[in-house]
Amino acid sequence: MYDALALATLVATGALAVLGLVLTALNRPPGREFKIAVGVVVALLAVQAAIGAVRAFGVTLPEQSTFLIYLAVSVCVLPIATQFAYAEPTRWGGTVVAVGAVATLVAVLRLQGLWVPSG
Amino acid sequence: MAEAPGRKARATSTGAGRILVAVYGIFALSATARAAVQIAGKFSDAPLAYLLSALAGVVYILATVGLASTRPWARPLAWTAVLFELTGVLVVGTLTVLDAGDFPDDTVWSFYGRGYGFIPLVLPLVGLWWLHRTRAR
Repeated sequence: MYDALALATLVATGALAVLGLVLTALNRPPGREFKIAVGVVVALLAVQAAIGAVRAFGVTLPEQSTFLIYLAVSVCVLPIATQFAYAEPTRWGGTVVAVGAVATLVAVLRLQGLWVPSG
Repeated sequence: MAEAPGRKARATSTGAGRILVAVYGIFALSATARAAVQIAGKFSDAPLAYLLSALAGVVYILATVGLASTRPWARPLAWTAVLFELTGVLVVGTLTVLDAGDFPDDTVWSFYGRGYGFIPLVLPLVGLWWLHRTRAR
């Protein structure tokens, strides 16, 4: 894992969560701009997952399978949450995406904790 | 909102209820994945704890389905699953606090869900409140 990229994904998911909560507070259903923001964050997570997966096969991790599962989770949760949020366009959609963003943030933190390569 | 007598139950999965469904869905995913890794990789280390992890995962899945669906069976399913979940987190939480020796490895419900920011303790309470709020009356 690259610390700079991990930091970027943490900041991005955190910012997305705040943005989602702000939309709910402003009583606005999430729109097109918010969806683009989600897309940018997911793209960032996908890059991190691709690099992480390639690097994970070159080293020995104490919990390799757990690491790979968290990599997959870190990419998949936000698209699913976004799909669910946009299926019913109410003010609560932003919070639904925020929940997914926080879960993703936790997954990235766990990834950082699991990245203890040897060999 | 009009509180007319004889009002039908409202769907649990609309409006703010979608947040609850989303949180339950994430717990269903994480608890199940965790149990799968534990059981596949090191089952003999702590069979009881890992079976409990799997049980918790199933309960979260059932609660998610019950809250997300509007079928006639969904509401009773959600009530049952969320009540079971509350019982589980209280019993396992209390057992782990009194004597951690019986649980050599953590589950979602250990120490009242401390490893998950105590959300496992708060979630069933919110779930019960939401089921009560949206019930027929």
